[in-house]
Amino acid sequence: MERIDAEAELTRLRDAIDRVDDVLVKLLNQRAKYAIEIGEIKGHLALPIYAPEREKEVLAHVETTSQGPLAGGAVRRLFERIIDESRRVERESATR
Amino acid sequence: MVIVMEKHATDDAIERVVAVLSSRGFDVHRSTGSEQTVLGIVGRVDTIDTREFELYDGVQEVVRVSEPFKLTSRTWRREKTIVKARGVDIGGEQVVVMAGPCTIESETQLFETAKRVARSGARVLRGGAYKPRTSPYAFQGMGVEGLKLLRAAGDEFDMATISEVMEISQIEKMLEYVDILQVGARNMQNFNLLAALGQIRKPILLKRGMAATIQEWLLAAEYIMAGGNYEIILCERGIRTFETYTRNTLDISAIPVVEKLSHLPIIADPSHAVGRRDKVMPLARAIVAAGGDGLLIEVHHEPEKAVCDGPQSLYPDQFARLMDELKIIVPAVGRRI
Repeated sequence: MERIDAEAELTRLRDAIDRVDDVLVKLLNQRAKYAIEIGEIKGHLALPIYAPEREKEVLAHVETTSQGPLAGGAVRRLFERIIDESRRVERESATR
Repeated sequence: MVIVMEKHATDDAIERVVAVLSSRGFDVHRSTGSEQTVLGIVGRVDTIDTREFELYDGVQEVVRVSEPFKLTSRTWRREKTIVKARGVDIGGEQVVVMAGPCTIESETQLFETAKRVARSGARVLRGGAYKPRTSPYAFQGMGVEGLKLLRAAGDEFDMATISEVMEISQIEKMLEYVDILQVGARNMQNFNLLAALGQIRKPILLKRGMAATIQEWLLAAEYIMAGGNYEIILCERGIRTFETYTRNTLDISAIPVVEKLSHLPIIADPSHAVGRRDKVMPLARAIVAAGGDGLLIEVHHEPEKAVCDGPQSLYPDQFARLMDELKIIVPAVGRRI
């Protein structure tokens, strides 16, 4: 590949990543909205925010859903961060 | 705060720690490694007793990332604090030397010594009126009469004054005569005294306890600052080690460490650290070279007749020689004297 072509390809791929990120952020916010609603219900029912069994289910679910190239462990680590943030928004909405 | 779980800690063990933290309102960031899980804790972690979590099953280590001291920390105030005592700036460009006898014994002794140290360049006159003596049978100090002499000598030779406060009831009287109140090593963790000193608005010189860590020392200063008195000078005076040849071991490394951690001025007392006259001068030179903001040195016009700490008191001539040496060293480290 010529240098010029390679640089154009790099720009195209970076644009593609930006578009995926746009969708990812929308989806993460959609997920957070559900978490907020769950937090409100947990607050109403006086249930603990931290539900380890449910977190395990979520992690197992995404790990098996992934078809690569991300390995199961990589997906799990990414979702641990998503769950950390979900726990935080749930707590905020539960105490509101 | 970071909690490092043991290798192959069970899910149950990890969940228990997360559950406790979560129920107390902390955000937990879980990071699962191939063998080991690490939990990052966010929130008011200064309220957590780390020992509690070290005792949970599966926990290998609990690490505090932030310092427990706040007001004394450089994070809270980036610029160095300059403490002002009767026209003398401590913590500024000038290295300040405080000198005088361990104990005020008589008018002649105090004035004779004050005259000699003032002539050599000392800016602050020290002298004990209330003495924390190891033995109850040793001379306990002249009390208020001594303070009056100290003030008179300070005025006569244009020096600020410093003297040790041992208990709360002495504070009010001392404010009349003394420009800097000194808290001795043995009182460094007398928290009632520290809290009372937080309520006044006069500079405090806080000596490091002989078995205190730097963190404990800064937390003691925090007690005073928490009351609203921000005028604190820290003073390293030697710590107990296994070495018996010297009275204590001067922790010279405390100077750059404190300089980094805290905005408060730091000086050192080579006399109490070493306890022997012949070793005071080299230590004094080292303190200044290491970046100390000042020195607290015992000088007596007739050390062999001193009622207290004679062997560690310099002769006035020795003090004059030391000041001449410091005039060479101080500019080399970018300060003036």
